[in-house]
Amino acid sequence: MTIMMPASDQAVLARRDEIVAALRAIVPGEGVIDSAAEMVPYESDGLMAYRQPPMVVVLPDTTEQVSNVLKYCFEQGIKVVPRGSGTSLSGGALPLADGVLLGLGKFKRIREIDFDNRAVVTEPGVTNLAISQAVAHAGFYYAPDPSSQIACSIGGNVAENSGGVHCLKYGMTTNNVLGCEIVLITGEIIRIGGKSAETSGYDLMGIITGSEGLLGVITEVTVRILQKPETARALMVGFAQVEAAGECVARIIGAGIIPGGMEMMDRPAIHAAEAFVHAGYPLDVEALLIIELDGPGVEVDELIGRVEAIAQGCGSTTLQISNSEMERNLFWAGRKAAFPAVGRISPDYLCMDGTIPRGALPKALARIRDLSEKYGLRVANVFHAGDGNLHPLILYDANQPGEMDKAEAFGADILRVCVELGGVLTGEHGVGVEKRDLMPEMFSEIDLNQQQRLKCAFDAQGLLNPGKVFPTLHRCAELGRVHVHGGKLAFPDLPRF
Amino acid sequence: MAASSPSPIFPGFEQARVDTLKIRDAADVEQAVRAAIASEQPLEIIGHGSKRLIGQPMATNALLDLSALNAVVAYEPNELIITVQAGAPLADVLSLIDSKNQQFAFEPINTSALLGTPDIGTIGGMIGAGLAGPRRIRAGGARDHLLGAHAVSGFGDSFKAGGKVVKNVTGYDLCKLLAGSWGTLAVMTEVTMKVMPRPESERTLVLSGLDDVTANRAMTAALGSPFDVSGAAHLPASAFRADIGGFADPGSAGQALTLLRLEGITASAVHRAAALAVLLAPFGAAEILQDAASAAVWSSIRDVKSFAADGALGAWPVWRIVCPPATGGALGQALSRDTGGDVVYDWGGGLIWVALPPKPDAQAALVRTRVNAAGGHATLIRASEQVRRNIDVFHPQQDGLASLSERVRHGFDPKNILNRGRMIRGTAT
Repeated sequence: MTIMMPASDQAVLARRDEIVAALRAIVPGEGVIDSAAEMVPYESDGLMAYRQPPMVVVLPDTTEQVSNVLKYCFEQGIKVVPRGSGTSLSGGALPLADGVLLGLGKFKRIREIDFDNRAVVTEPGVTNLAISQAVAHAGFYYAPDPSSQIACSIGGNVAENSGGVHCLKYGMTTNNVLGCEIVLITGEIIRIGGKSAETSGYDLMGIITGSEGLLGVITEVTVRILQKPETARALMVGFAQVEAAGECVARIIGAGIIPGGMEMMDRPAIHAAEAFVHAGYPLDVEALLIIELDGPGVEVDELIGRVEAIAQGCGSTTLQISNSEMERNLFWAGRKAAFPAVGRISPDYLCMDGTIPRGALPKALARIRDLSEKYGLRVANVFHAGDGNLHPLILYDANQPGEMDKAEAFGADILRVCVELGGVLTGEHGVGVEKRDLMPEMFSEIDLNQQQRLKCAFDAQGLLNPGKVFPTLHRCAELGRVHVHGGKLAFPDLPRF
Repeated sequence: MAASSPSPIFPGFEQARVDTLKIRDAADVEQAVRAAIASEQPLEIIGHGSKRLIGQPMATNALLDLSALNAVVAYEPNELIITVQAGAPLADVLSLIDSKNQQFAFEPINTSALLGTPDIGTIGGMIGAGLAGPRRIRAGGARDHLLGAHAVSGFGDSFKAGGKVVKNVTGYDLCKLLAGSWGTLAVMTEVTMKVMPRPESERTLVLSGLDDVTANRAMTAALGSPFDVSGAAHLPASAFRADIGGFADPGSAGQALTLLRLEGITASAVHRAAALAVLLAPFGAAEILQDAASAAVWSSIRDVKSFAADGALGAWPVWRIVCPPATGGALGQALSRDTGGDVVYDWGGGLIWVALPPKPDAQAALVRTRVNAAGGHATLIRASEQVRRNIDVFHPQQDGLASLSERVRHGFDPKNILNRGRMIRGTAT
């Protein structure tokens, strides 16, 4: 673990027994876990390179308990780390040694399904997939589909603004949530939005989504649901050069076609995936595109034809079109298993998550190749090509001394390249602890201060999930100061009319 | 020093009391805001001033005029993004992206007919107001299409929010806050918007003679179908008191119309229109409008032409109500009955425009009681300055949410320099 977390508060640690007892008075029975052995599962999330046992784990099952736990922690100055299913890939739920880990796993009930208003009101611990399953009988689904959807919770999805392979067409979490109930660190319960398309006043739902557990604890979410498209078909297209694949993606978009999904894999990723799932991927290509069109059959068939013509015009060397659900699923099988497939060819791997302008793809891949040579570590690339979200997988062996540090430095360099090419540090995994110290690559101190002022509006003491997202947390009093520049002369030097 | 020459943009505006600060670049905005902080003088932020009549009346002595910040910085159709300065005329930007067969999918409203102002406004105004048209039910609002921004906060500092790519979760999503904040948080100087392909074809199913509640049910059935409906509106017969434009073809004067739009490649739009007509057969036989005729109808609905300032109800106050879509028909019908007003519905019932016979309070208490019971919120979008002074223009929030919103505002503009008092009554002075 190479990242610095906020210093532990020794006074809090010294009062651990008293704190555990107070929490037990709020959350009775098995809802408070303080034995070292039982806390092990909570030591890390999906970013397993980082581990830290919390001071205590609390698993409330009512909003009132959440409110009372937070109020107690606020009054006692105790840090709190919220956690959903613990699938974060950026360390968003990494515990603190002197903090309460607040797990929402017991909030497992879907509260209301409202087909007429096309909305589902759910507790935050319900998994992403469970929402789709609960409405499937009426032909509906919940669109965002992060690859961890069988396990990840909807509360965690809101906290991280999770994406998925279909978000080019259907949006990320933020485009698919309507409202929430959130508990502030003071214990105050706030309701925002509901089943209406828009909330009143400032769009607080919009900033809570993707706030990575730093603003409040979500205790209820209202999501919008959509009717499933009538049908879906996919093309699997191979190219001899990455550039040609990139050009193909640009021309598809340029032709006004927004596919349901458009994924790219480079040669190492194709080989790893094929060896793992035998999807029939071509092995003599440099880039493979999987393009899925969804909608009414008549539309899908016509667009398949148009995309096929574009791909051929870009010099595709292999091209297959799915003619059955089995075939379509087979095309996807390799892509969906890309991460574990890479896990088979390397003892460890780091998954990065930058976004670049799509046109910069060949340049980005060339730079990643150079870095791969420089660091002496292999890399496989999978790419949400439609929206420019790149997932380089850096292969390393944690048992080799220094190799993990090298892999992390390599990853950081890749993200710097993304920013340099006009992109961003993270497209869907979040900043968490993983990219925290890279934030200044993308944002100036003024930019970060403005974001932190928002934090101050919700949690002025900085007790919720400290050590995440921001490399340094400034004191709110300091951030709130207005500097009066210059004298009292109003508007010097401006043209007046 | 106050200017003396009449403003070409705001005829009748009391020039003698107001400084207009013509911004040349982002640095000017910083300088102006810093000077405003130093002299404790609030600023009213304007582009073309097309939406100045919306909000609580403000007491500002200076206008920050961004209309000269009007450049297109970069337009990359294949990346689905456009970066423009905030003062860029919306009309120009729309025609530029239209030339590449692209559009802002949220269908921004042109408020000029409703408010009786001459201009559609600027990109900055479009985002600050965040008023989305019929396609919001499918494509989201302005907030879903603002990817990045450069803005100057009430601290007088230029900051960056978001990025220039369509997928980004780096840091807090400050863009969401800027959209719909009516210029009360920061002065946007440059924005990056997501653009989407313009559909090749469109078809509109028109059902006639349904009452509001039945029409609401028809729209709910359509939106719950797999046919990807991108517009669902209902105009009661009263909506056609005057010629509202766009409706020549149906020729259904005297009849309520329920309209459902399908967009996409031609084969798909045709197929779905036919399939939807079958699904909705219990609600009556549907007429189908094609392309240009369909587009004309939706432009009229988008801009609320039924309540145009130069129309029969031009002098009536207009409320914009957002509510759970399936409750809209009953809510609108009750409001119409209780107030003697007219209503039109968009967003499948989730957006209700209500025009009411003029009263000093625009019947706010009655409207809000009904709207609260339905779980919605109401904004008084058109009313005289006197009426807007009397009542809360934006929907009052519950205590906890209101204080949180105020703390958020304070985090952007602690001295209340930017559009002071526009969103909350009683905070203008």
